[in-house]
Amino acid sequence: MSLPAADIARLAAWLAQTDLAALDLRGPGVHLRLHHVAGTVTEVEEPPPVTVITAPSVGHFLAAHPLHDHPLAPIGTRVAAGQAIALLRVGPLLLPVTAPCPAIVVDVIAAPGAAVGYGTPLIALHPLTD
Amino acid sequence: MIEILSDTALATVQDLGRTGALNWGVGTSGAMDPLALAAGNILLGNGAGAAAIEVQVFPFLVRFAEPCAFALTGADCAASLDGRPLLPWCSAEAAAGQILRLGLPAAATWRASRAYLCLAGGIDVPAVLGSRSTQLRGAFGGHDGRALRQGDRLAAVAPGAGQRPTGLGAVPPAFCLPLSQDGLPAIRVLPAAEYDRYTAASRAAFWGEPWRITPQSDRYGYRLAGPTLTPSAPIELRSHGIVPGVIQVPHGGQPIVQMRDAQPSGGYPKIGTIIEADLWRLGQAPIGSRLRFVETDWETALAARDANEAWLANLARLADLRRIAT
Repeated sequence: MSLPAADIARLAAWLAQTDLAALDLRGPGVHLRLHHVAGTVTEVEEPPPVTVITAPSVGHFLAAHPLHDHPLAPIGTRVAAGQAIALLRVGPLLLPVTAPCPAIVVDVIAAPGAAVGYGTPLIALHPLTD
Repeated sequence: MIEILSDTALATVQDLGRTGALNWGVGTSGAMDPLALAAGNILLGNGAGAAAIEVQVFPFLVRFAEPCAFALTGADCAASLDGRPLLPWCSAEAAAGQILRLGLPAAATWRASRAYLCLAGGIDVPAVLGSRSTQLRGAFGGHDGRALRQGDRLAAVAPGAGQRPTGLGAVPPAFCLPLSQDGLPAIRVLPAAEYDRYTAASRAAFWGEPWRITPQSDRYGYRLAGPTLTPSAPIELRSHGIVPGVIQVPHGGQPIVQMRDAQPSGGYPKIGTIIEADLWRLGQAPIGSRLRFVETDWETALAARDANEAWLANLARLADLRRIAT
């Protein structure tokens, strides 16, 4: 089941006028995901092959803790639900980015230290069903 | 309630210190790294005066007898909760029965020697003379006025599951407030009363040469090794009041820095005083590491204190915003 085309167009037009990077709408039997880059909005076909973890806040993306010289979850890492896989630095504050489910890290999308906004794709996970 | 499992040594309950009692001969005590302690309390939403456990011998193990939010700051010591790794400088929640283990401090990007375990609401020990810090010389304050032992049980002021949002972390101040000189960690020092009575060569060496922290260094004071400091003429002084940070020079010419558990008086000549804002840097400097002294002035010392407070205030503001948002 999907939304009426007119509704998707209206949401896309609205998203294009904002600073948001993505719109994710979920309801019973409905999953709409729109990506927004510089005024161009595209619908992402479902089901996505991987789960993309997006920034929960504005901040700077850190793949490693400042006290560590190794990334929290490099590509290929098997992670548990709730495990911190990256960090967002907001001034002196660090916010953990956690895996929603057991998964394998398939891509680290954001560059270390990059400034990210709410919804910016950070890490791609391949969910594990076991 | 937590129970100390390790056959530990030298771990003590500390808050920011017992200020205002030096005139009675009562030393300040308090955390060797007050910034780490304050940051841990901020991550939990604790009051600034909340007491924590300062750990300086590892490994250190505690069992949570009930659910409780906690934060770990200071030295990164590969902490784990029931074997699951924890991020350094982060808050988390333990379930009843879980065991928290602090391992040996690692030295990937910041060498430090003391870790702080903060509990929700703070460690519930009575305040004595306005502080919960352990006063080891007087054997009062903290937990029965002594270092913690295996089997000790300590209560948190605000235990319970889901009482506090957790998961927040802080960037250690070593990165936000870095200070180095010629490739070594630097500590800012004000020339003290007898500074001008040392030879020009000694004064130049004091600022110019690195100082090594010897194994004779603890919460009472740090003995440093470096060039011999020689007075122009022998100096004899009566005992006088001293504070943490004072750098004394005994007859051998190798300095002693008085730290948090220092006695409140002494008679050695004083060549300098480490500014209050930089005492945390020395408090975390590991035995065997080297550092440099950098000459500073009163205005810079006050600005450094303001910078520390601004860093903490900013962390507290952002942590509060984040707690409201979740």
